[in-house]
Amino acid sequence: MLRRNLLILGTGLLAAPRVHAQAFPSAPMTLICAWPPGGGSDIAMRLVAEAASKKFGVPVVVDNRPGAAGAIGHRAIATARPDGYTFGMFSTAGVAAPYLNANANTIDELEPLAFFGSDPSALQASTASGIASLQDFVTRARANPGKIKNGNDQPGGASFLAVASYEKLMNFRIQKVPYAGYAPTVTALLAGEVDSATVAIPDTIEYHRQGKLKILGVSSAERHFMAPEIPTFKEQGFDVEVGSWRCIAGPKGMPEDRLRTLRSGLLDAMRDPDFLAKARQAGFTTQPGDAATTLARWRADDQLLYTILDEAGLVKARKR
Amino acid sequence: MQDLLGNLAMGFGVALSLQNIGLCFIGCALGTAIGVLPGIGPLPTVALLLPFTFSLDPTGALIMLAGVFYGAQYGGSTTAILARLPGETSSVVTCLDGYAMALKGQAGTALALAAIGSLLAGMVTTLLIAAAGPPLADIALLFHSADYVSVMVLGLISAVVMAHGSVLKALLMILLGLLLGSVGTDVATGEYRFTLGLDMLADGIGFVPISMGLFGLAEIMINLENRGGRGVIAKAVGSLWPPLAVLRQALPAMLRGTAIGAGFGIMPGGGPTIASFSAYSLEKKMAAQPARFGHGAVEGVAAPEAANNAATQSCFIPMLCLGIPPNALMALMVGAMMVHGIQPGPSIITKQPELFWGMIASMAVGNIILVILNLPLIGIWVRLLQVPYAYLFPAIIVFCAVGTYTVDNSTGDVVLMAVFGVLGYVFRKLDCEPAPLMLGLVLGPLLEENFRRAMVLADGDVTIFVTRPISLGFLLAAAALLAAVLLPSIRRGRQEAFRE
Repeated sequence: MLRRNLLILGTGLLAAPRVHAQAFPSAPMTLICAWPPGGGSDIAMRLVAEAASKKFGVPVVVDNRPGAAGAIGHRAIATARPDGYTFGMFSTAGVAAPYLNANANTIDELEPLAFFGSDPSALQASTASGIASLQDFVTRARANPGKIKNGNDQPGGASFLAVASYEKLMNFRIQKVPYAGYAPTVTALLAGEVDSATVAIPDTIEYHRQGKLKILGVSSAERHFMAPEIPTFKEQGFDVEVGSWRCIAGPKGMPEDRLRTLRSGLLDAMRDPDFLAKARQAGFTTQPGDAATTLARWRADDQLLYTILDEAGLVKARKR
Repeated sequence: MQDLLGNLAMGFGVALSLQNIGLCFIGCALGTAIGVLPGIGPLPTVALLLPFTFSLDPTGALIMLAGVFYGAQYGGSTTAILARLPGETSSVVTCLDGYAMALKGQAGTALALAAIGSLLAGMVTTLLIAAAGPPLADIALLFHSADYVSVMVLGLISAVVMAHGSVLKALLMILLGLLLGSVGTDVATGEYRFTLGLDMLADGIGFVPISMGLFGLAEIMINLENRGGRGVIAKAVGSLWPPLAVLRQALPAMLRGTAIGAGFGIMPGGGPTIASFSAYSLEKKMAAQPARFGHGAVEGVAAPEAANNAATQSCFIPMLCLGIPPNALMALMVGAMMVHGIQPGPSIITKQPELFWGMIASMAVGNIILVILNLPLIGIWVRLLQVPYAYLFPAIIVFCAVGTYTVDNSTGDVVLMAVFGVLGYVFRKLDCEPAPLMLGLVLGPLLEENFRRAMVLADGDVTIFVTRPISLGFLLAAAALLAAVLLPSIRRGRQEAFRE
């Protein structure tokens, strides 16, 4: 902050005395990531920051503010000075958060800027379970509600929301067993402690190819680029699309011209072929989209996730 | 055997390339530096380095990141011994006898023992990974939630053995640690507990602010009170190189520590921590005069230091052989592989043999680099103790505050550290040891999470803990350990009763 002010002072003295008169952006920008360094979101945002920095011609610095399932970082975005220099990442888990945590920010408190992409959810079965296909899984789950044990995040987390969405949209019920993250979930699935799991494709495809677990399907419109041999849910007769997405959002109240610059600049940055290649190598499914796309996805998920959480008795913090 | 030698030769070929030796050195040097700085741990360092490795080849990147991780274990013991500041959970135990040795003017010996113990453990464990990595990795898959519960119980009981004061106080400190560990988000329901409406507490109370407060700040207050701000180490610093007799005494302890560490490191969750606590407890139980422990026992430094380094290395086994990261840092390493387009999984050995064997060989190289790096530094560290305390203690406080802040970029954590500093002072006055509390704090959330998951999976049937053989084994070991602690005091109690 201090450095930015000094820079503004430095350039300002030469050019114009007021910040408004300057070209935007003319100082380092901050990209807040509500997740710890090194995780999937952090890596995704560092790639975005690199591309945005190239596009805007100023440094874009990733600022990690992890904690409270993203609520701390999201608040930092929502309460940042709306001068266009601070924005950050928002994701599916943040959509559900306000219903679980009274302190979490809602859709009305943030300004969508651009869409990063959606990682499709997938369903895996352990080899010990003997589940042969998605159809087999659904048949078993419907015949014996609550018998199949599924490894997922704690309530509100991405893979919890995925399996809860499957239950609602495909009309079955299984026992959800919470694990702290994907790594322990995959371990439990390999060890046969749970029968199934809802973990992303990049984390499980190698085990599938080695025959250590079976990926039953991926719930997206198209097959996953890293796992072309895995059929979609739709191909298997279940018209269900579930995934967790990431977008860039800023605080409300930014000046209209800066908002325009940010939106088009971020979108261009994420359409850069170099960025797309790096993101793909790291396993991200990118679908660069504009602010309107982002808002539409956000609103649709807000509706679906609220219903799911409400039926599960998890809506505690606020009602719609 | 032929295969092993061939593979190792290939690995050393990779690890000894000029670029990779350089990266290994950078990693080890960085690791040592952050290990020495209190609060700044390997996790954020590796995380911040990650983007810089995007442009390196994956093997070089992983060699450097691994160097930071095990390098920090070497450096972490330095502040634990010199200033009673455990930078890492696994060096909490080193504070006990290491700092006591420093107070007796044997800081150099303690630091040298820590380095030698770490080297021995590192080399033995590296060989173990090379010779038996893949079959050992499968052990990680034998463990279910119920078994982890029993491992945690054993770990907690070992903290009782460790305490050199009253057993009752140690038990109460563990319980307090467990209670503090229950602050935060409940993993089973997502409910916030005891967070006082503060988002800062939603992820629980961090290890760093508590350990900096309970150990570091409390020690400063006690020193200022007892010595009125004069230097801590009044005695002349003796020879840096440990005498042969001391080495002979420490060697078996190092070997036992290595065995314990290598075993616990393979299990996900809390490996190095449980390993160092267990190694210390074992040494104390085996010693002819357990009363020496806590007052500068050589084995009390050698065994846990060997154990935590062995565990640090052996937690690479499930990561490299199965793609399963047993802790957050290994998860970052998996992330680094994925960035380079390498999918984690059992196929790494066959698909990326240069990476697998290069990593293993680099650990051997790295351990030697670390010892070469650390032994000459000991002289400098020890001289630091001669800095007048009036200058030293404000510096320590600043380092603690900076370290605590950087964990989550949170000022709240710094306030928390100050609160626990005061609490730590009160505990010292009441003769309550903070180490068992730390273990309760670290293991409590894991214990609870696994217990509740085990209950969900077993449909509420508690017999799961005795019907699973692994779990039963650990529970029996815990019971035997508890009996070994309690029996003498019960007998003593009876004798006292008879006397009356």
